[in-house]
Amino acid sequence: MAFYEQHIHPKPTTFLSKYIFSFDHKVIGKQFLWYGILFLFVGGLMALMIRWTLAYPGQPFPVIGSFLFPETGGAVPPDTYAMLFTMHGTIMIFYAITPILIGAFGNFCIPLMLGARDMAFPLLNMLSFHVAVISGLLLMGSLFTPLGAAAGGWTSYPTLSTLIGSPGVGQTLWSLAIFVLGVSSTMGAVNYITTIITLRAPGMGYFDMPLTIWGLGLTAVLNAIFLPVLGAGVLLLIFDRVFGTTFFLAGAAATTGTGDPVLFQHVFWIFGHPEVYILILPAWGIVSDLLSFFARKPAFGAKATALAMTSITILSTLVYGHHMFTTQMSPLLTQTFMTLTMTISIPSAIFFTNWLGTIWKGSIRFHSPMLFSLGVVFVFGLGGLTGLYLGTVTTDLYLHDTYFVVGHFHYTMAASVLLGGFAATYFWMPKMFGTLMNEFWAKIHFWITMLGLNGVFFGMMLVGYGGMHRRIYNPFIYEFTQKLIPINTFTTWSAIIMGFAQIIFVINFVHAVFFKKEKASDNPWEVGTLEWTIPSPAPHYNFKDIPVVKCGPHELGNPNVIGKDFQYQTEELA
Amino acid sequence: MKNKIFTEPVLKNTENLGFFEMLAPPEDISANGHLIDWLFNYTTSMNLFFFILVCIGLFGFSYLYHNKRHPKPYYTYGNKKAHIIIATVIGIAVFLCIDLMITGFSNNHYTGVFINWPDESKEDVVRVQVLGQQWAWNFRQAGEDGVFNTQDDIVTLNDLRVPANKKVVFQILSKDVIHSLYFPNARRKTDAIPGRITRMWIEFKKTGNYEIACAEMCGTYHYRMAAKLTVYEEEDYGHYLAEAGQIHRAVNDPEDGQIYWGWKWTSASSSKKIGMNK
Repeated sequence: MAFYEQHIHPKPTTFLSKYIFSFDHKVIGKQFLWYGILFLFVGGLMALMIRWTLAYPGQPFPVIGSFLFPETGGAVPPDTYAMLFTMHGTIMIFYAITPILIGAFGNFCIPLMLGARDMAFPLLNMLSFHVAVISGLLLMGSLFTPLGAAAGGWTSYPTLSTLIGSPGVGQTLWSLAIFVLGVSSTMGAVNYITTIITLRAPGMGYFDMPLTIWGLGLTAVLNAIFLPVLGAGVLLLIFDRVFGTTFFLAGAAATTGTGDPVLFQHVFWIFGHPEVYILILPAWGIVSDLLSFFARKPAFGAKATALAMTSITILSTLVYGHHMFTTQMSPLLTQTFMTLTMTISIPSAIFFTNWLGTIWKGSIRFHSPMLFSLGVVFVFGLGGLTGLYLGTVTTDLYLHDTYFVVGHFHYTMAASVLLGGFAATYFWMPKMFGTLMNEFWAKIHFWITMLGLNGVFFGMMLVGYGGMHRRIYNPFIYEFTQKLIPINTFTTWSAIIMGFAQIIFVINFVHAVFFKKEKASDNPWEVGTLEWTIPSPAPHYNFKDIPVVKCGPHELGNPNVIGKDFQYQTEELA
Repeated sequence: MKNKIFTEPVLKNTENLGFFEMLAPPEDISANGHLIDWLFNYTTSMNLFFFILVCIGLFGFSYLYHNKRHPKPYYTYGNKKAHIIIATVIGIAVFLCIDLMITGFSNNHYTGVFINWPDESKEDVVRVQVLGQQWAWNFRQAGEDGVFNTQDDIVTLNDLRVPANKKVVFQILSKDVIHSLYFPNARRKTDAIPGRITRMWIEFKKTGNYEIACAEMCGTYHYRMAAKLTVYEEEDYGHYLAEAGQIHRAVNDPEDGQIYWGWKWTSASSSKKIGMNK
């Protein structure tokens, strides 16, 4: 498709058209950012309650416990505990990470980095956010229903998630919220894909796009393909709960013919495994770019990185069976899924080589976005390698459904994505809000977060190897887990430290957005991608004249360039 | 302030454990659990090797190429022949050293041992039917007649007793939601699913009292769905069977429909024709 030029719309003037019903991708990105940060706080608070219960079961949660759970004197009751981990998982995955990395940075970066004036479908873009708000209301509303929120785990396996295990309306609302959110994300995904295909500035080939856009684009492809699958799955679940169908019922409860609960697991994980990559691909893209920007040299093997991301995207759709080894599938399938899972490590190894190749012989500036990016390389190394134990069927027989799994996926999805999200926030702050965040406190934030995060997630893997299984309210009723009490306590305190470190971020962020007088320059990081050719913060039309792209996004450190050490993408390659 | 809803467990003495003793997984009492431990350790050593490489790169380059020490970056796209060869070699090395090896080992262990069902027509095995429910484990062993679902079956709640040095074959089912029969001391778990029978076999090697847990989230009291495992010497197991059989014959009321939750036993080797699963 050929590029076309969008018109410059008049600047919106009223509050509503500027902040609520805005078509501007930058405003929608910011809306998603606030939305995500809000849910990040809710999900994080839930995580702290979970961790507190695991370290000190039966003891009142400090400060707000007696207000939240008056009937137990402040301690988290076991049924509430199940709701907490269910909602924590759901919120973090669908309502915190997805809006921040995909909703906020996807919206903000894609048109700016492509040289477009807005998304291809601005109205669809606005609706995508408003639908996400409806979904968030449905989810939070479920907390106030008589039997409480969904409590079957974020995977919500039937038959526990059908009326047999969860009679309350909370589980129905949960399913509905996920369905609605699926609609929102699919709208976004269609928009991203179309924008990337049609609105690249003249001269910009696919390999001239920053890797951030590669990551976001591949994510959008996965979203567009697989969120409808999840939507179909939860819709069938709603049918089972509301209309008395038996898609997923079996056993004593299936009074009108039987379905198969394992069917849901297939549907869920066909979506669920790509979902892991949906979350991590934007972070990979961002990190690949930032490492190059702050090492002041071109991204090492950028083409290979882009192709490796693409092959991981394809492979991620073929491996979901490794989540279901313990349901005892046919050994032929076990073999197939195991082998396919293992092949993912080839592109992953290429990534790591390229990341390290990028900083090799660079001239590294350790600004906060760089620190967070290097942090991603570290934690994703740990997260990726520990996945091998779980993709291998025999070790999975022991480790499946233990805290080892929890530690592993937190390393890949939570740690890497969180650090990637922070890197992105610190990096694009000037273009978004026109100010830079305080660098000193950003670094403090990084180090405390990094320490806390590794304490939490490594501690989880240790207790998992010790045999402690997931989703248990009180780990100490088993003898074999009692010796793990000290590690559990350590993990909890790491989580508390990590939680408190985020206060530093929030203050820094709010201060920079609302109170900081000192404006950032147009290009404070001295990089050459298109969003840095325009003023900070970006004007509502983005580009007065549509730029013409003449070189790649990572032209740094070219010895032929005089006077500066980088080139804008609009400049002829020296 | 301790709360009433929390029943204080009897804590074992964990004060004197060393750091690494604390981290060790539960004692392995099965004949084949060591295969899983071995593979875990193999993967760990390989992972450590590659992760240390990553760390050397990450921290080493960060130190060496700090902009104060190295102000002039080396301008390269990383597309020289040497660069491509190095990246490819690393990718292939990871794939060969870790992935292909563990896939091979794991697959051999899995098909050769863990789902290599004992031939029940030739081998003397202990058969156990397991029915998971919210939140307890029911175990059923055929009594003297060797037939399941009869009056002399030994049916227990949260109490499994098996002999050592003999293969124990489990058929597992759930009556409500999905559970997972988890033997931490044998490194094994298998889901209990409503509507389909799953199987597992384990040979226990060490006598004593151990624990069984439910590993799959199954509701509010998931965390309490614990059962006891007692492994007897073969001789003691005989005594137990005789005694328990007597008690159950006396207690089980043949008119009571509730005692017949078992099912007809089909050995895995005879059902191979129609596939591994039900």
